[in-house]
Amino acid sequence: MGDIVQIFNDYKDRADFLTVYVREAHPIDEWQMKSNVKDDVCYAQPRNLSDRLAIANDFTKRFNYPVPFGVDDMNNAANDAYAAWPERLYVIDESGKIAYRGGMGPFNYNPAEVRGWLAARYGEVKHPEEKTPDSNPEKAP
Amino acid sequence: MWIGISVGALLLVAFIALSVMAGGPKDALYMVRYALPHMHRGNLKVGDAAPDAKLFALNGSDTFHVRERAGSKPLVLVFGSFT
Repeated sequence: MGDIVQIFNDYKDRADFLTVYVREAHPIDEWQMKSNVKDDVCYAQPRNLSDRLAIANDFTKRFNYPVPFGVDDMNNAANDAYAAWPERLYVIDESGKIAYRGGMGPFNYNPAEVRGWLAARYGEVKHPEEKTPDSNPEKAP
Repeated sequence: MWIGISVGALLLVAFIALSVMAGGPKDALYMVRYALPHMHRGNLKVGDAAPDAKLFALNGSDTFHVRERAGSKPLVLVFGSFT
């Protein structure tokens, strides 16, 4: 999620962003993850829209999440249309066509590919605090 | 009999591999039960028209469509959940 927020901050003037909240990946009544217990992210799989909205609102408030947000309906229409679960990334171009289609999460969920797509089109956004492997500060004047 | 043993051994190896990938034997079972049925490769391709879907705003009363957000600029779609 941090990667997405960073990409959003870097490119929000040039691209639009939309987060789509879909059915939970690791709720307490399905395949719960220890890391979620540790982080106090413990929710049952929503059975109705108000449960789903409540979790979405907890998420955006907890992280002060800046990216525009939408919630899938209980028929999971957006999830099904985009084969999205548990997480997935797309870029849609100005003509409404899919320009980038990320792989299935979690193993092929790769924000760096979205950054690459945006960088190819709009140029890289550099972060000075990140050192590249071949940078050598000792050689700097 | 040897066929049965071979198939059994293969299943055992597959289960162990899945356990390692998922984190443990319980995780492997839960993955098969709760995750794999919902994971779909899908058949969208680059160049296809982006599907539309109605979404709810965080306030729960307003709705909008994915495609309404696409147009003047590229639209980055981020699908996910909290857990």
